[in-house]
Amino acid sequence: MKHPILADNPGDRQLLLGNEAIVRGALEAGINMVTCYPGTPSSEVPDTFYRLRACGRYRMEYSTNEKVALEVGAGASLAGAMTLVTMKHVGVNVAADPLFTLSYTGSPGGLVLLSADDPGCHSSQDEQDNRYYARMAGLPCFEPASAQEAKDMTRDALLLSRKYEQPVLLRTTTRLNHLRGSVVLGELPGPAPLKEFKRDPMRFVPVPMVARRRHAAMLENLQKIQAEIELSAWNRVWGEGKVGVIASGISRAYLRDVLLEPEFENRFKVLELGVTWPFPAATVGEFLRSVERVLIVEELEPLLEEQVRILAQRLGLGVEVVGKGGVLTRLGEYSTTIVRRALAEFLGSECPEREEDSASAAPNLPGRPPILCAGCAHRALYYAVNRVFGKEAIHSSDIGCYTLGIASPLNNADFLYCMGSSISAGSGFSAASGRTTIGYIGDSTFFHSGITGLVNAVFNKHDIILIILDNGTTAMTGHQPNPGVAGELLGDTSVHIDIAKVVEGCGVTQWAKVRPYNLKATMRTLEEMKAMQGVRVLIVEEPCVLFARRTLKQVRTQRAYIHEQGQEVVACHETLGCPAFGKQADEVFIDPEMCAGCMVCLQITPKIKARKKEA
Amino acid sequence: MRVRIYLTGVGGQGTLTATTLLARTALEQGIEVVSGEIHGMAQRGGVVESTILLGGFSSPRISLGEADILLGFEPMETLRALPYLRKGGHVFSSGDIMQPVSVSAGVDTYPPLSEIRRQVEAVAAKAWFLPCRDCGLRAGSAQSGNTALLGAVCASGLLPFGVPALREGIKKFLPPKLVDVNLAALENGIQAMHDQI
Repeated sequence: MKHPILADNPGDRQLLLGNEAIVRGALEAGINMVTCYPGTPSSEVPDTFYRLRACGRYRMEYSTNEKVALEVGAGASLAGAMTLVTMKHVGVNVAADPLFTLSYTGSPGGLVLLSADDPGCHSSQDEQDNRYYARMAGLPCFEPASAQEAKDMTRDALLLSRKYEQPVLLRTTTRLNHLRGSVVLGELPGPAPLKEFKRDPMRFVPVPMVARRRHAAMLENLQKIQAEIELSAWNRVWGEGKVGVIASGISRAYLRDVLLEPEFENRFKVLELGVTWPFPAATVGEFLRSVERVLIVEELEPLLEEQVRILAQRLGLGVEVVGKGGVLTRLGEYSTTIVRRALAEFLGSECPEREEDSASAAPNLPGRPPILCAGCAHRALYYAVNRVFGKEAIHSSDIGCYTLGIASPLNNADFLYCMGSSISAGSGFSAASGRTTIGYIGDSTFFHSGITGLVNAVFNKHDIILIILDNGTTAMTGHQPNPGVAGELLGDTSVHIDIAKVVEGCGVTQWAKVRPYNLKATMRTLEEMKAMQGVRVLIVEEPCVLFARRTLKQVRTQRAYIHEQGQEVVACHETLGCPAFGKQADEVFIDPEMCAGCMVCLQITPKIKARKKEA
Repeated sequence: MRVRIYLTGVGGQGTLTATTLLARTALEQGIEVVSGEIHGMAQRGGVVESTILLGGFSSPRISLGEADILLGFEPMETLRALPYLRKGGHVFSSGDIMQPVSVSAGVDTYPPLSEIRRQVEAVAAKAWFLPCRDCGLRAGSAQSGNTALLGAVCASGLLPFGVPALREGIKKFLPPKLVDVNLAALENGIQAMHDQI
């Protein structure tokens, strides 16, 4: 059956995830090429393209990192392909280098960069506001607030980019990526024709002389785009009165819902900005002239607010501008509650009494923090490390499931910056402190940006143990392919790359490979490495337990059980921290439903034994 | 009729599948729907929260005190999410306990079910605690217990659509091999609710 996203049935209504709507929008524009590095909350965009790849409308790839994804995308767009490049917000930092040049040289076939921001840090190390990149690199910026807009803006952004040959930023936030809403489908034309490449080194090779000219060309191009944005239906005024509100992004959704309430209905004149850069000064100026006071509602940084203040000053307007301050902070996500309070404050009225104040307080309950799964090989490895190194070693973590080693009783994460930082930050720490330092990095993260750090560690004679936790997939973001994935799973569009050969190729002479479920061998190898100096690499191979079950169809028929209670069993429970273990009335038990059959605990104490799982 | 529904459960329980089924069912009935969910790190055994907003809302979020209906797939998670319920809202919760690691490790204590019930009933106009797992198992799979809870909420008359719409939704949106089990679980859920009246 044809996937509903590929339905050529204009006018049809579907319930789509924001990220699925983006895919549909790209298809409606005639997308030719998709590149990405997965990362929450962007992942369902490339994952949906991957699932639909047999339709033959486009070529898509999981690139090794965001810089590579953008460069591959830039090259494709140069060759005339309409291109979408997707990543999470911090990925744009990785891709920033090519991005700033790309906006000078332009993107002939059209290129949209999806930056999925994460206000509230639902699954990220920061909540940076990537609308800054639009301003800094010179990218028109679209900010959808519904599933329908996600589809339509993606289409429009691609077409705008193709028309002006200027890369465009599609900036979303977690709530938009992961909402579901009804979407009315548009026409589904075939893929866009390739624009023929016209060789032009004086445009595409930014030596200083060219770069200076292209900077001017970019600014001129953005001016033309601004003129078009001034007329865009994505920036619209509604409501009446002398009290104004300007909102962008998902804040528009919160604002609309609050303005449905009787206390606020019909009291505001609203300007919703869907395309926020280049700043539509004429549209905003006209709005400012029509009101006496205006409130700016935008999550994170006060970017619109600053533009509005500059504009009001330039136009010599006496309009009162209110933005960040009070409940409108630069932190986290907004909500209807925050917007309601801000509006009430702005009106100088009391916030209407709501039930929330009298409902119930947040109860103090046992938490459910995310943890490593039962049978996760990372736990086995961490256990072995802690046995061999005790509390002395310093743990330089990285980005992936294994960051969850931060939790007790493992405590295997002391610091972390970003993708690939384990090896390089660990090198620096070790060099300055002289302490035993262990870096942990997953297979996908190693290919993403660990290799450069490893070369550096060898080149500069650092003293560090790097443990590569090779679970054969990109586990945290939903099991996407990466170069480390076994060849037979990759199909004929990708090639497996052997991590050990890469490690050797980087000049590492002291390396070994172990299976972490074999505790004895793992600990023996760690002991050997502990006695050495310099760069040591331990490759730990065991498939992600979920991946093994779902994709590799591995079945483990044995389950662990407590053969005899006692202190050893209690100690095993307390140091391993396996969630399949439990305690009831001073007796330790192992839940046979949760136990994955890794049999690591059997190697810790003979008082735990294995038996066949009951059917 | 505008209704905000807050759903909560534990990662791996199928909360998001249930959310999408209910949201699709609503859209199928011509009702405006926005639904929200949080993916990623939160799923590794953690709490999974989602929302369904019916009748013309734009935002996929529900603030504290805004939910008309709280659907809890685990009783302690129902209690944790209680601040989202408006006073006088309705609660449909599974009564089946899933211990968090800190409780099974003996570090924390799971609140007694009677205490959960007392706190929930202090806020809600009406609260149902249903034996969802049992409803599901009798239908053919524990997982279908989620549908028992959906059946109860659809039978309550609090939504702009009823049980027939959910039956249609199950037939249309679930994989064919799961349809019969879920249809049976739905009936078990309604029965379980009636047994408590």
